Amino acid sequence: MNDQNHENLKDLFERFFKPEQAEEAANDVHKADQIFREHPAPGPSDKLILDIKAEIAEALSCRKARLLRKSLYYKAAAVAAAVIVLAAISIRLFEKETTESKSPATTASMMPKTIWEDDTVTTYGGTSAIIAAEIEEIEGEILALQLGENGGNEHINMMELETKLTEINGDFWKG
Amino acid sequence: MAKSDDLAQIITNCKNDNAESFSQLVDIYARRCYGYFYRLTGNSVISDDLLSELFVKLVEKIGSYKGGSFEGWLFKIASNIFHDHLRSKQQEKKLLQTQENLFAAQLTKTKHSEGEQIDKLQMQIGRLDADTKELIILRFYSQLSFKEIAAIRSEPIGTTLSKLHRGLKQLRELME
Repeated sequence: MNDQNHENLKDLFERFFKPEQAEEAANDVHKADQIFREHPAPGPSDKLILDIKAEIAEALSCRKARLLRKSLYYKAAAVAAAVIVLAAISIRLFEKETTESKSPATTASMMPKTIWEDDTVTTYGGTSAIIAAEIEEIEGEILALQLGENGGNEHINMMELETKLTEINGDFWKG
Repeated sequence: MAKSDDLAQIITNCKNDNAESFSQLVDIYARRCYGYFYRLTGNSVISDDLLSELFVKLVEKIGSYKGGSFEGWLFKIASNIFHDHLRSKQQEKKLLQTQENLFAAQLTKTKHSEGEQIDKLQMQIGRLDADTKELIILRFYSQLSFKEIAAIRSEPIGTTLSKLHRGLKQLRELME
């Protein structure tokens, strides 16, 4: 005994009621269904159906527009974020470049530390002291020659001194 | 009634915001849902409003339908809409009572709008207690199984059957 809702009512009611009660209950359900069919409720008007469909179409278009706006906002936000990140990176790089070119400390630090710590600098200093002493000695001899203290052959002495001076000069540039 | 495969396809299309498929759902269910609201309220104007609200809700909530009985899901929403309406009506009544104004009379008048005839079933069903009335109406218009009805009402199936049994007996006596 199936009803309009495709259920076997007798079996169903028998699980909860006594057999005679179950049968009565199933019959009541069928009678109620019959009463409802004999007294149909009024249906919705055609105008109402059209209004509802129009309302649905409007709600859907609003929803689509809202979704579109939302996705545009997200895209704009993503682009803005990317621009901000790029700008931040560029500013940092630019700042680094400018400070590197301006700061003397940074420039100094570019030279290898070994140069400052190298003992050869002092060696160079020592060599230059010897050269300076030699130059001083030659200058003294030239002065003596000019004052005529070297007796006679001034021209030859002068030539010798100039050669010596050129030699020292060459040694100086050789290092 | 739409075959289950057709209905599944219509629902899938509705989830993709297809207006035509929503129109199909309106065509399939509007009459039954309207009957449900009309038998509960006895008022065509209110039933119009509730039916419109139901389909707007359907558009909003279709994404949350995860399969199972679509009728069960739809009539659960319909039942919630009716209960919301009852709550707002009770608030309205309280407001009217405290204000003792003329609108109370007008509201009673509009309950059964012009030329509307209350049939015998509507009159007799109105004599049942609200819960039993709703159960009987839900069963007829939703065409759900008792198991599904019990699930909608969040009560054991035995309780649903007992209430229905008592209510139908009473209705049968009233109608005779």
